[in-house]
Formats: sequence, C-alpha cells, structure tokens
Amino acid sequence: MVILMKKLNFKLIFVLVCLICNSVLHAQNDQAIEDKGSVSHYAFWNKLIPRYYKGQYAGSIGKYSAGLGWSYGKDHWETDLLLGYIPKNTDRHAMATLTLKQNYLPWKIPVYEQFVFEPLNCGLFLNTLLDSDFWVKEPDRYPKGYYGFSTKVRIHVFMGERITYKFKRQDLYVKSVSLFYELSTSDLYLINAFTNSYLKPKDYLSLAFGVKVQIH
Amino acid sequence: MHKILIYISLLLLFLNSCDLIDYHPYDGKLNSSTETDINRKNIAKIQELCKGKDTIRFVMISDTQRSYDETEDFMNHFNNQVHDVDFILHGGDMADFGMKKEYEWTHKILSKLKVPYVAIIGNHDIIGNGAQVYKKMYGEDNFSFIVGDTKIICLNTNAIEYDYSHPVPDFTFISEQIAPDSLSFKRTIVAMHAPPGNEQFNNNVKEIFHMVIKQAPSLLFCLFGHEHNFKAIDLFKDGTYYYGCTTIQKRGYYLFTLTPDGYSYEEVEF
Repeated sequence: MVILMKKLNFKLIFVLVCLICNSVLHAQNDQAIEDKGSVSHYAFWNKLIPRYYKGQYAGSIGKYSAGLGWSYGKDHWETDLLLGYIPKNTDRHAMATLTLKQNYLPWKIPVYEQFVFEPLNCGLFLNTLLDSDFWVKEPDRYPKGYYGFSTKVRIHVFMGERITYKFKRQDLYVKSVSLFYELSTSDLYLINAFTNSYLKPKDYLSLAFGVKVQIH
Repeated sequence: MHKILIYISLLLLFLNSCDLIDYHPYDGKLNSSTETDINRKNIAKIQELCKGKDTIRFVMISDTQRSYDETEDFMNHFNNQVHDVDFILHGGDMADFGMKKEYEWTHKILSKLKVPYVAIIGNHDIIGNGAQVYKKMYGEDNFSFIVGDTKIICLNTNAIEYDYSHPVPDFTFISEQIAPDSLSFKRTIVAMHAPPGNEQFNNNVKEIFHMVIKQAPSLLFCLFGHEHNFKAIDLFKDGTYYYGCTTIQKRGYYLFTLTPDGYSYEEVEF
C-alpha cells in the first residue's frame, strides 16, 4: 500500500512537472502559432495551458505549497492545483498534500499606475493528504458508518485580498506579479466551532500568504 | 531593503507563535505554548497532594470531545463548588477528530482546574495522527500511579484503531504493573476508555483481560468512559464492578472516595 501511494505521489508530481514544462514551452511558441493564423485548431489546447503559478505559506494545506492554475471569465475566476509539503515531525515522516482550489474575484480596482487591487478573493478548496495512514472511507475493521468522516480529504472555505503589479512590457514571460493573503477554515474546524461559543475565530481560522506569477 | 527583510522575518516569527498559522489539521505541530508530558508532570503533583492522606477523593470526567462550552462550565463548577478533591481522571476522548487543535482547546480549559488532571487515551484521540499528539502532550498510552495505598492503572483499550500493530490491551505492561516485586501498594483500580465487550475492545481476550487484572492486589473496581452514560455493571458476574462515566455534554461526573476500609462513589450532575 505504501509503495502504491509512493507511486501515485510520483505520478502526480510527474503530471505537475509536465504541466509546468508545457506552459513554459507554449508561452514561447505562442507567437509562432498566432502568426500562422490557425487559431481555432489551437484554441482548445490553449485553454489547457496554465496561465499562472502560485506559491503559498501555511493555510492548512502544508507549510509551503506551490502549483499552477487557470484564469477565465474575464479573469474573475481562477482554478488552482497546488502541491503542499508538511515537514517531518519528531514522531512522523514528512507528508505531501494536493489541493484543488476555486477562486472568485469580483472586483479589480486600478489603484496606482501599474497596480491593481482586488479587495476580495473568496471560494473553496479541497485538500487531500497523499499519505496511506489516512483514509477517505473508513477501513473495513470498523462497524459501518462508525466515524462518518474522512481523515484524508478536507474541504475549506476562504476569503482574502490581493494586490497585483502589471508589467509595462507584456512581451516578456512574466506578465504580472501578485501578493495575497487569506483566512480560511475547514469542515472539521467549523463543526467544532458551530456548537461552542468558547471557540473564537482566532482558534479556528488559518492564515496564509502567497504570491502569484501570471505568465499567459 | 535590509530593514524590510528584518521586519518581514519578525512578522513571520510573530505569526508563527500565534494560532492563525496552521500547516494542516493533522500536522502534529503543537503551539509553542502548549504543555507537553502532562500526565507525568501532573502525577508528580497528585502524589505530592496525596502524601500522608488515608482518604483520597477524585473526580472522573469523560468524553469531553467537541463540548468546550460544557467543559468550561464543569471547570467553573468544580473550581467554585467542589472541595477536598485531590485530582481529576479524564476517561478519554479529549478530541473528536484526533486534531491537535482539539487537544489544545481541551487542555486550555482543563489546565485551569484547581487540581491536576491525568488523561487516558480514547478512540477519538487516536484517529488521524491523534495518537502522536496524545503521546507528545500526555505521554505513554499505558501508565500508572500510586496514591495512598492504591495503584491506578490506566490502559489503552481502543484495539480496533490499531490493526494488531500495537498491543491493545498491553498484557506485558499489565503484568509488570501487578508483578509481586512492585507491591508498594495494597489496592488496585484499573481505568480505561472502552470496556471489555465494547466494539472497541479486543473481545477475543476480554475474559483473559479480566482474569489478568484480577490478579492485581485487591482489585477495587474498574473505570471506563466511551459509552456516554452512567453505568455500574458487574461485567463478569464475579463481584468486580465496572463503572462507566457519562459525558461532559450530559453534564455529569463521578466523585469517588477511597477510604482505608473501602470506597464510595456518587454520580453528580452540574
């Protein structure tokens, strides 16, 4: 089982690396493709090319996490795929996590020259531990429905803000750089908070900082 | 530029020390202010408090998971209205999902009790990476201590959580605890989270378990939690009672008094 998980982890990392390489190559080929004018043929594949990279500190998905994503709907929507790293502990090995995150940014306010302020970024994300010690469905040894939750997959909601600097030259690889922070909480934290006035937001909220690099 | 870097690193250091920075619910990284090795430290305090006493009084609470409001009510009730109690025994399930934050929230309240407490491991404390958090915060999952002339043996009985990877119940530990060369005590109490016969217990050995613990010097009674109700059962029909403690959510606890001649107990509601 452990070997299987390791293989699975390796596959996931491989897919992510492929996606990243792909986006680098495509970014360089874009000019050539547009020159040929065969837009419709490439339009579908173009959509699959990641538009940005993101890196993040903390936020309940790892100490550090990084990945890529796609923006669409006039850039008001973003979907991220992030790989996270939880450092090893005195009694436990390091763990990896995978996150699928959906962002919604309703407003983009130009503030100063090349700066754009996004006063709200909200949405939800699914996080899974890539570790065989945790389960999605309870192992068979338990009576049916014994715990009724997964230790492996968490769903979180979040809210945050972001500031973006758009480079004047748009012919370079990096088009813009953003800094963001956000506060999130997970299903299990909320279940605890829901029935206990003892718990305050500082107990169950999780803070994250990050950077986004737009390339496409 | 250097100044900015210093500010940023100071800010990160500050944030790291506060609760808002969470790597993962199961990262096992305790807050820097969270106490560790609680059982060992508190046992030392309990033994100091009980020194020379021939009557010992203790309270048992259990299954405080996800009941922080009620646990806080209990703490206030105990600190203000209950007197002459030497220590508190927690029957397990401090956490509900085995998350370190749940452990920390619970301990934050229980650390305010006016007498020291010790905690047994419950099945909900084990799931996820809970067992590692328990070990760090409370210590070994099997432990014992002597108060007056009585030894209290606290056992991990949540066998279903382990897939035979860990001996539950640990007969080696039990035998060591009741071995004739360690008889600095006259009477014994065995405390656990899940009782024999419960789905958590390794029921293949429940009779053997009972036979083994009966060999301890004058086994007074056994204590358990997990079943969320007050219960007093002569489980093996031999006169040895197993007392089940209710949950803190149901606002109840046991008050036990050990006297030189025997013991008495009360079911208390607050």
